[in-house]
Amino acid sequence: MIKITKKNFKIDKEIDFVRSKHSNIGAVSTFIGYVRNLNNKKKVKSIELEVYEKMAIKTLDKICNKAKNKWNLIDTLIIHRYGKIYVDEKIVLVATFSKHRKDSFQACKFIMDYLKKDAPFWKKENYKNSSSWLKNSKLKN
Amino acid sequence: MIISYFAWLKEKTGKSTETLNNHSINDISKLVEYLSKKYPKLKKYLQEKDLIRFAVNSEYVTKNKKLKNEDEIGIFPPVSGG
Repeated sequence: MIKITKKNFKIDKEIDFVRSKHSNIGAVSTFIGYVRNLNNKKKVKSIELEVYEKMAIKTLDKICNKAKNKWNLIDTLIIHRYGKIYVDEKIVLVATFSKHRKDSFQACKFIMDYLKKDAPFWKKENYKNSSSWLKNSKLKN
Repeated sequence: MIISYFAWLKEKTGKSTETLNNHSINDISKLVEYLSKKYPKLKKYLQEKDLIRFAVNSEYVTKNKKLKNEDEIGIFPPVSGG
């Protein structure tokens, strides 16, 4: 399941919902990303996350299917927020569900690594009196 | 074709989407050439190797990808989600 949402979410509730659909899950691995208060020595107040939603759904769906082909997974869950998100709030949840831990651990890392590299989301950080898009450090504009 | 710009690229073009009806733009390379002339502020980024990414109908593509008039094209900087 893939959700692209502005709203915050409760991890337990989301995990339990997926678990309620299957009785053979023995392992769940999760990655949760949060907004932190300091980045590149600047105090961050909040972030604005932009998404190319149509492409994000398509590409994340594709990577979940790749993970399901590679490991013995029962289900996958990705929730990624967009819009304004404050320090300490959740940005993303990736959860993988399997019978045994090895499959869920490895698949969770695989999905998250892909998401960081290719999923079309962009962060703009808001500081006290300014803001800045996060970008490749070698780039100047 | 419909072009969508994301993140700080929107600040260089001054818009998030536009429609182009120019049949001579039939691949990504020609589109880059056209946009470099139309948006001088965007030119240096479009010319930097492997910086700006292109998607056609929500799939990543390379610069020799052929384009059709009904294609939806996304143009964006390196991603920073998660």
